[in-house]
Amino acid sequence: MKTSNQLLLLSMLSALPAIAAAADSGTGQPDTSKWECKGCASEQGWSGSVDAGLGHVSDKSYKFGEYTGLNKQGGFFLGDGSVRFRGAGAYYWNINASDLGLDSRSLDAEGGRQGKYKLILKYDELPHTLSDSARTPFVGGASLTLPPGFPAATTGAMPLASTMQQVDLSTQRKRLAVGGSWIGASDWEYAVKFSHETKEGMKRTAGAFFANSSQLVEPVDYVTDQVDASASYTGRRLQAKLAYYGSRFGNSNDALRWQNPFAVPAAPGAFAGQLALPPDNQFHQFLASAGYQFSDRTRGSADIAWGRMTQNGGFLASTLNAGLAVPALPGSSLDGRVATLDANLKLTSAVTDRLRLNAIYTHNDRDNQTPQASYPSVSTDMFRGTARTNLPYSFTQDKLKLSADYRFTPLTKAAVGFDHDRRKRTFQEVNTTNEDTLWGRITTRAMDNVDMTLKLAHGERKGSAYQVVPGIQPPENPLLRKYSMANRDRDSAGLRIDIAATESINVGLGAESSRDDYSDSAIGLTSGRDLGLNADVTWIVTEQTSLHLFANRQEIKSTQRGSQTYSTPDWSGENKDRIDTIGIGVKHAAIKDKLDVGADYTVSRAHSDISVNTGASNPAFPNLSTSLDSLKLYANYRLKDNWSLLGGYWYERYDTRNWMLEGVTPGTIPNILAFGEQPPRYHVNVVRLAVRYRF
Amino acid sequence: MMKIAKPLLAALLWSLVSGVAVAAEESAPAAAEPPPPAPALGTEYTEKGADTCLMCHTEAWPYPIFPIFKSKHAQRADARTPFAKLQCEACHGPGAKHAGSGDKNTINSHKASSFLSPEERNKFCLDCHRGNSRTGWHASTHASNNLACTSCHKIHAERDPVLAKATQPDVCYGCHRDRRADFNKPSTHPVRFARMTCSECHSPHGSTTPAMLVKPSVNQTCFTCHAEKRGPFLWEHAPAAEDCTLCHTPHGSVYGALLKKNPPMLCQQCHTVSGHPAVARTPAGLPGGSAGASGFLLAGGCINCHSQMHGSNHPSGVKLMR
Repeated sequence: MKTSNQLLLLSMLSALPAIAAAADSGTGQPDTSKWECKGCASEQGWSGSVDAGLGHVSDKSYKFGEYTGLNKQGGFFLGDGSVRFRGAGAYYWNINASDLGLDSRSLDAEGGRQGKYKLILKYDELPHTLSDSARTPFVGGASLTLPPGFPAATTGAMPLASTMQQVDLSTQRKRLAVGGSWIGASDWEYAVKFSHETKEGMKRTAGAFFANSSQLVEPVDYVTDQVDASASYTGRRLQAKLAYYGSRFGNSNDALRWQNPFAVPAAPGAFAGQLALPPDNQFHQFLASAGYQFSDRTRGSADIAWGRMTQNGGFLASTLNAGLAVPALPGSSLDGRVATLDANLKLTSAVTDRLRLNAIYTHNDRDNQTPQASYPSVSTDMFRGTARTNLPYSFTQDKLKLSADYRFTPLTKAAVGFDHDRRKRTFQEVNTTNEDTLWGRITTRAMDNVDMTLKLAHGERKGSAYQVVPGIQPPENPLLRKYSMANRDRDSAGLRIDIAATESINVGLGAESSRDDYSDSAIGLTSGRDLGLNADVTWIVTEQTSLHLFANRQEIKSTQRGSQTYSTPDWSGENKDRIDTIGIGVKHAAIKDKLDVGADYTVSRAHSDISVNTGASNPAFPNLSTSLDSLKLYANYRLKDNWSLLGGYWYERYDTRNWMLEGVTPGTIPNILAFGEQPPRYHVNVVRLAVRYRF
Repeated sequence: MMKIAKPLLAALLWSLVSGVAVAAEESAPAAAEPPPPAPALGTEYTEKGADTCLMCHTEAWPYPIFPIFKSKHAQRADARTPFAKLQCEACHGPGAKHAGSGDKNTINSHKASSFLSPEERNKFCLDCHRGNSRTGWHASTHASNNLACTSCHKIHAERDPVLAKATQPDVCYGCHRDRRADFNKPSTHPVRFARMTCSECHSPHGSTTPAMLVKPSVNQTCFTCHAEKRGPFLWEHAPAAEDCTLCHTPHGSVYGALLKKNPPMLCQQCHTVSGHPAVARTPAGLPGGSAGASGFLLAGGCINCHSQMHGSNHPSGVKLMR
């Protein structure tokens, strides 16, 4: 079946050029010899603006500065700029720089000779601060050791008070990209781009010895190199592209070793363990795509991509426990390899002026060709386990989408469609699932100033027999239906209304609802519900003032069931999330061409209720909640012709309640040496003042 | 053959019937009296090209026209550009009739209020921009929802907001209003801070994936930034190998690490084996609870021990604990 699909696609692809019809009929072109474009205000030379200034952050918070680098208290340098060059002969440069004084700085330059070639240079940094309240007694990088006093039977018996040190968890990405493109002869264009990204820092992980575990600091020292190269052809009827994408990931640490802080007399020799860190891997992909305009009314396009993922990092030892005799591994590395094939064919045809038919076929294949072997196993460096054979999972998806759009009037259109989605999996509980979805959509201008769109869909997914997977030990409850493969009915509805209330006021309203029903699942996820309501108002109050308001509510609910006795369901769980977000934004030209001011205020409140019902009288879980208030004020005052003063103020308040972390110190859980992280809360004020020079 | 839910069928029938009714209503007066002259593009070009247009569309015109001269479209030394060809009329269509009458129903304004359909307006753009990422535009979700190129692109701007990192999300939020709320959730990708754009993951001109992703599959898209999770690993976690979105919700979550739920309930949707995974974790496991603080519930929950949930290459990592 797979081969026939590929052949079908290839034959369709190869047929495209052969069907090439006669050249387009040209339209009459005017005599433009007197079109001098005298009024076209084209500028030559350098122009742009450069900002420089200072800012100050009032308080330290990893969460506030999560991705910006504004996580530290104190001053910072402000540097931004936007510079352009236009020269004779279409030579140009566009250079944009932002946040040069922060760990999230970026620089983006593009230039060359327009219509001939283009060069790009990009550099950006992205921090991700993860925690500023983690504490650990471990010291070291890729090999973590403990001070005297360890191991101990429980966290309560460990000398935590004298040994814990705070550690800030964060990573920093730095990416440099260079590239270029050339316009070749005969409608061909060639492009190449290379990017080199490093990611360094520390993140959270954990390592266990049977039921005792420790949260650990994992060193991050990654390099990812990516290459994109392409040759594309843009003809009048035929467009085509051949491309290569390569990605190579490297990790300078292959393992994280840590000393066992727990004394385990039952497993002598379990003094240390090591986690395998992400191994080096590669992905290479060749892509071909084409689009063909069969006629004014009919167009087809196709894509096909062959890829290969490989991973062959050397295996670590099965255990660091010298007291355990472990048979040899079947090899020194995995020789992991996955072939991917992704293909797509789309045809659209305006059969009449009113009716358009669309057909899309998509094929995605992840063929895991990694060899299977039996691996001797050691359970958490403590005990010999039974040998296990790896299960290289493969996935194949075939999707066919058919739809018809019909225009009743210029203002009323309807569409109906049918989607068929077939997925095949190996080494899993269900070999094949088939999902059919029928949908309809109608768009109409209900009144002169009101546009409405209603969309409804109903889908049913059915799987082949649900079976026990050989090789997965111990087995799952036979009544479990994993939600990715379970039989499911899905109903969704969406209504969107756009109202041009007046010439200056636009109102958008939306409601979306989706309901999943896993009625054949006795255990596992049994239902899901998502409801979204939103409203948006844009108001051009005067020529100088505009206002923007938005409000959004989302409710996500789901239910699941389990069996504590490994039989029929005897407990149920329910998750209910409610998120409300409202905001207002104002822009005001206070003094024309002199002073612009603005403000944005956003409030977000999230609540989650989690309940677990075992039939016994359990107290309820406390609410999980987060509240965010964010106010931004800004002003731009023009001092002289070329000079402006920019001011900004940003206040945020963030508060969160999370019972997974609250009150959990490193010694709270007897068998888990936790970081003792607490949920983030902050009040932060940021002020900025900068000077802008325009030239 | 699938069973169709009655409400859906009823709604679709209603849609079709009301569509026909609206069509009948709108076409009825047309039959009764001769229609007024239909808005139509002129066929003759102006005498002086842009110089004709700029006589009225001066710098004082309410919609800022002149920034286009700082854009690539206005580079006359590049033979491919509108200003090297028919200037304003390359995109707005033959303008003699409009220049003579000032009637906006004789020119392609590219505005949503235009008498031309989005498809007709887009032809002006696609005439040049039909290759590369636009090759599959014709069958894209945005095309089938009647978007015009100018629904997102501002052609006269010096720097098109949808192409700039800081301003792109606001353009997308114009329709995708729920996403603005998502990016204000506690755990999210850094779009709110202008450190990431929608188009780093999505290809708005159409792609081969349902959510118009930049790569042919969800995971291939995620691996462009998270290549360490690509493997293939000796011990794969099947859902991680299949589709990251089975556990994660990429636009934003109230839970950590963009997860759809917190462990242990997230994991217990699929892991039910006899022993600790099957046990209901109740508030009795909270600090001070009757069962004592539980490592199955607190700190990282399941991840306190099974930390290698994206896959492990350790020979003894079958339980994703090494």
